Amino acid sequence: MDTRVELLNEFYQTMCKDKVKIENKNYGFEFIKKLTADNATLDYVQMENNLIHKYRLLHVSENHKQRLLQGHVNQAYNVCLYFDETANNTLCFNIDNNYKRNNNELIPEIELAVDYLQQHLGEHGIEAVNVKSGRGYHVWCRFAKPIANQLLLDFMIRISAKTLASLHYSHHDYRSIKINMSPNPRFVKIISLRAFGSRHIKTGLFSHIRTNDGVLNEEDSWKYFSNYMKNKTVSEQQFLLAFNEVAKTISLVK
Amino acid sequence: MKVIAVDIDNVLNNFSDTLAKSSFTFKDSYGLSLEEFDNYLDLVKHDVFAESEFLTTKFSDFRHRIHEQCYPLAQANPDGVQFLNWLKANGWKIVICTKRNLRLTGECTKKWLQDNHIPYDYLITALNKIVFCKLWDVPYLIDDDLLNITYGERYGIQIYYPLMAKHSSVVSQTAKGFTRFEEIKQWIQE
Repeated sequence: MDTRVELLNEFYQTMCKDKVKIENKNYGFEFIKKLTADNATLDYVQMENNLIHKYRLLHVSENHKQRLLQGHVNQAYNVCLYFDETANNTLCFNIDNNYKRNNNELIPEIELAVDYLQQHLGEHGIEAVNVKSGRGYHVWCRFAKPIANQLLLDFMIRISAKTLASLHYSHHDYRSIKINMSPNPRFVKIISLRAFGSRHIKTGLFSHIRTNDGVLNEEDSWKYFSNYMKNKTVSEQQFLLAFNEVAKTISLVK
Repeated sequence: MKVIAVDIDNVLNNFSDTLAKSSFTFKDSYGLSLEEFDNYLDLVKHDVFAESEFLTTKFSDFRHRIHEQCYPLAQANPDGVQFLNWLKANGWKIVICTKRNLRLTGECTKKWLQDNHIPYDYLITALNKIVFCKLWDVPYLIDDDLLNITYGERYGIQIYYPLMAKHSSVVSQTAKGFTRFEEIKQWIQE
């Protein structure tokens, strides 16, 4: 098996095994037949701007999923994964440009938000991996054990609030970006995220990793991703410590 | 392959009437003041967007949540249900083609279709249905959208639309309005 596919399997080990979304520019009824090999079923299709097509597949067999992931690392299309419905070993802040105009632009507020987000996570001893994704970033954290989705969300809401506050206090309009958080129990069945190693359909750009030293090329991004998983995965204890610390300073109104 | 695309809202159901006639109660979870709630609800009911330079706003979230409440309430058009069952029985592939964001509304849309015994082969979100039909070689589209009715002809897509007051200005030479789905049968068999 391709080592990159092995890496993705390990990094995203708690993601749904039999449900994926495929995004690319291929379309048509014949293409659907290929996607639904091995008795996979097509749930729905989304045709978006620039003729991008997204196909949500259910009942995907293990073999078929591995073939799809191979296609993903070969950049034939992108595979998007769904979080487990109860607990996960990863979380992701999905930061996007929120302006209607020039929506694909990477605006300065996004870069700043990634910095602030990292800073706030770092205050609690958590390091994230920042993956470029179209008009924004996916900021991933990985944990040694699955953690309940609600706990992950409560943590992310607080860190996001601190990030937006930091933007506001540095005289930037926090409404210029949006931060979607996954896994969110309310949307966990329906929201998927592109796996690392993708090429953004709209922009054609690889999902480069951004570090404090700059943006890495494709090969170095894969190395960094692998190193992050081996050396920066956060223990459950560390997460709980971070959660308790941040919960002391920010309470949520429910 | 005999294939046809069919819209849901205001074609297979009475979505706009449902939206206009339903009452919605204020909830704290909307994150709005009472004044904002009344103002936004009025805009949603009249299918008007609150102006904003941003994609995601309090209004866009509210609009989605009101629409989400209406989708299950909208009543299926029995005539349309019967027609789709006729299509299925006669070997047609049915593409349910909607502007709804299926990522967010897929589950309630599927449930509504199932509860109302509406058969289909594919469920697709397409903001531009003419482009979708052209790309996917779907020659027929049943839709109430004025833009599609007007431009379908130019792109070789035959449009059928349920006659509504908003269609009084339609100038298309080829799009055909109908009062009963039954009328479409003869047109697609010509």
